[in-house]
Amino acid sequence: MALEKGRISNFQLSVLIIGFVFGSSVIISPGGKGAGHDAWIACAIGLMEGLLIAWIFTALTKQFKDKTIMEINSLVYGKILGKGISLLFIWYLFHLSALVLTNYTHFFKLQIYPATPNTVTLLLLILVCASTVGRGIEVLARLSIILVPIIILVVFSDTLLLIPHIDFNNLMPVLDVPSGKLLLASHGAASFPFAETVAFLMVLAFVDKPEKAPSAVFGGLLIVGFMLIMAVARNAAVLGPMAEITIYPTYLAAQVIDIGDILTRLQVLVAISLITMGFIKITVLLYGTVLGLAQVFNLHSYRPIILPVGILMVIFALTNVGNTQEMVDFAEQGYPFYAIPFQIGIPLITLVVAKLRKLPQTGGDQV
Amino acid sequence: MKREKRIKIYVVILLIIMPGFLSGCWDSHELNKLSIVSGLGWDIDNTGKVTMTYQSIIPSEIKGSSGSNGGGEQKGGSQLSAIQLNQDTGSSPYDALSRYTQHASRIPYYEHTQIYLFGKEGVQRGIYPFLDTQARNPVSRPKALMVVSAEEKASDILGIQDGMENIQAFGMAAEIKLSATFSKYPEVTVLQFQNRLLSKTTAPIAPMVGIFEETGPEGKKIRRTRVVGTAVFKGDRMIGQLNERESSGLLWAINEIKIGFVMIPEASMEIVSAKSKIVPELQGDQVKITIEIDEESNLVEYRGHQDITADLVHELEKGQAKEIESQVRAAVEKSFALDADVFGFGEAVHRKYKKEWKDLKPRWDDIYSRIEVLVKVKTHLNEIGDVNKALIKD
Repeated sequence: MALEKGRISNFQLSVLIIGFVFGSSVIISPGGKGAGHDAWIACAIGLMEGLLIAWIFTALTKQFKDKTIMEINSLVYGKILGKGISLLFIWYLFHLSALVLTNYTHFFKLQIYPATPNTVTLLLLILVCASTVGRGIEVLARLSIILVPIIILVVFSDTLLLIPHIDFNNLMPVLDVPSGKLLLASHGAASFPFAETVAFLMVLAFVDKPEKAPSAVFGGLLIVGFMLIMAVARNAAVLGPMAEITIYPTYLAAQVIDIGDILTRLQVLVAISLITMGFIKITVLLYGTVLGLAQVFNLHSYRPIILPVGILMVIFALTNVGNTQEMVDFAEQGYPFYAIPFQIGIPLITLVVAKLRKLPQTGGDQV
Repeated sequence: MKREKRIKIYVVILLIIMPGFLSGCWDSHELNKLSIVSGLGWDIDNTGKVTMTYQSIIPSEIKGSSGSNGGGEQKGGSQLSAIQLNQDTGSSPYDALSRYTQHASRIPYYEHTQIYLFGKEGVQRGIYPFLDTQARNPVSRPKALMVVSAEEKASDILGIQDGMENIQAFGMAAEIKLSATFSKYPEVTVLQFQNRLLSKTTAPIAPMVGIFEETGPEGKKIRRTRVVGTAVFKGDRMIGQLNERESSGLLWAINEIKIGFVMIPEASMEIVSAKSKIVPELQGDQVKITIEIDEESNLVEYRGHQDITADLVHELEKGQAKEIESQVRAAVEKSFALDADVFGFGEAVHRKYKKEWKDLKPRWDDIYSRIEVLVKVKTHLNEIGDVNKALIKD
C-alpha cells in the first residue's frame, strides 16, 4: 500500500528545504527579539543548533529508508504507543501550520489588505495548498524549483539595493547582549525556523537517493541560513535600534530603499516572498499532516482528508490567538520551549530506542 | 466519460467563483476620492490639544499650471494654486483627523507625504503623540522628512507658495535636501529621528525652516521659506537650536559632509570629499573624544593679489583646517551648553567600551559636558583652478 508514489531528487529536496525555512522568516527576523543588533549572531548559533537537530532526524531516516516517521514509530514503539507518538507529531505539524497561517493573516491585515477578512485570505491560500498536496510531493518539489530561485533573487536584490543605507556602526559593539540572553535568542532562532525542518521526516522517505538525503538537507539549511543571517544583519545595519521594536523589520527595511526616486516602495516584494514561501511551508506541513493521518489510520488514500484538515487549520489559525501581540508573545516566550519535545525529543528518543532495539533488523522485512 | 463530466462541473464552478475576484478590490481607493497629503503640520498647544494642518494636492491644478509657471507669474493672484490647506484641532492626532472628515470631501492619503512640519510652540512641549502615531501606522513612510518650523505655528509655513514648485511641501523637501547636499543643515528622516531617540543618549535633531520676505518686482512683497537652523531635541522635546555655523560643524563631526564650500577670509574652497571619524578614549571617568576629519578641496576663489605658490597652497590648507575646526568647536560648545549629545559621542563610547558603558550610560548627562574634545583636521587642496597667477597684482 503506497500512499505516495512520487519520488523527489536530492536537489529538489534542498530547494524545498530552502523554501520551507524561508517560510514566514522572510518577514520576521529569526532571533531578532532579545538579541538586539546581535541578532545575526543569534541567527548563526541558531543555524548550528538547527544543523545538529537536522543531523538527528536525518540519522533516523538513514536508519529506516523509505519510511516516514509514522511507520518508524510503529516499528520502534509497537503499534499502540507508536501511533500515540505519531499523533503527537501530527499535532505539531498541524499546530505549526496554523501558526504560519496566523502569521500570514496578521501581516496581511496590517500591511497589505486591511479590509479583507482574514477568512478570505486564508481560504484562498489553503485552497491552493490543498490542490498542490492532492497532486503529491513531486509537484510541490517541481514548483519549488521555480519559486525559490525567484525569492532568493528578491532577497539578494533587496540587500544590494539597501547597500547605500547600511551603517555598520549599527552592528557595533559585537556581542553587546549578555550571553544568557543571546543563547536564549539563538535557541529561538533554532526553533523558528531552522529546526522546523523536522517536518521533513514526512518527506525524506520519498527521496530517490536516501543515502545522500542528509547532505541535501544540510546543504539547503546552510544556504537558507546564510541568506537569513545576511537579511538579519542587513535589517539591523539599515534600521538601527528600530529593527528591534518593529514587528516586521524586513518590510520596514524594504521601505527605505530609494534609488534615485525611481526604484522606491519595493516593500510589496517582501509581501510576495511571504506569499510564495509561506505557501511552500504550509503545503509541506499540510502534506505531512494528511499523509501522517492516513498512515496512522491505515487509509487507502490521503486525498479525501486534505480539504477537511485544511479547513480545520484555517479555523485553528483564526482562533488560536486573539491579537498580534499574543502571537508575538507565544513566538518569543512559549514556542522555543513548546517545540523542544517535537523538534528534538521525538526524533532523538526514537533514534536511541531504535539503536537499543537494533532496528531495523537486517533482512527482516516487516511492513 | 465520468472524468470528462467531472471536469465540466469543475469548470462551471470555477466560472461561478471567478467573477467574484475579477471585480477588483472592495477596499480600493480611487484617485478621485483621495486627498493626497503632501505635507502634514503638527501643532501641540499647552493643553495637549493637537492641531493638524493638511497640505493637500489639488490634482486638477497640477496639469494646467506647468505652462503658467514658466512665465513666472502666479495664477489668478492666488498664492496656493495647486495645494489646499485644511486645519483641524482635536485632543489627539486621530481626534483631529476625525474632525477633518466633517468638512472634507475626500479622505487624506498619506503615502506621498514628504514632510512632517512641527510648530515651534508644540515642539517645545514634546511631539510624542506624533512619534507614536507615526511608528504605529503602517501607511506612514520611514523616509519622510522631519522639519521644525521657526515660526510659532506649522500652518504659517505650509501656506507659503515658493515660486519654483507647484506643491509647496515637495519644494520644501527639495530645499532641505539641497541644503543637506551642500552641507549646510542636516536632512533628517523619521527613521533617523527614531533611531536617535531609541539610543537614549544621542539627541535627535531636525532642520528648521523659517520665512523671509523679499521685495519682488513692482515693490510687491514675496514671502519665501528657507532653512534657518537645526533644532536640538532631548527626548521628544526641542531644547535649543544650532545656527548655520554650528550646524555645519555638526555635519563635519558626524560625517555628513557631501559637497559645499569652506570660506576663509582670503579664499573659498569647494569640498571634493570629506570623511570624519569620532574616536573615543576612556581614562577612568574621563572621556576623551577625538574628531578626525579628512578633507579634500579645490580652490574656487582667491581674493589676495598674489601668484599661487606651493607655500600659499599650504597656508590655504592650514587656514581651511582652522576654519573647519572652529566650526566643529562652535557646535561642540553649543551642544555642551545644551547638554545634548547631538554627535552620538555616547554611542561611539558604547561601540568601543561596551563593558564600561553600562556604568556610564545612566550618568551620561552629567559626564557629557565634561568631555574633552580634540578636533584633528587634515585638509588637502587639490586643484587651484585654471590660472596660477593673479589678474591684478599688488
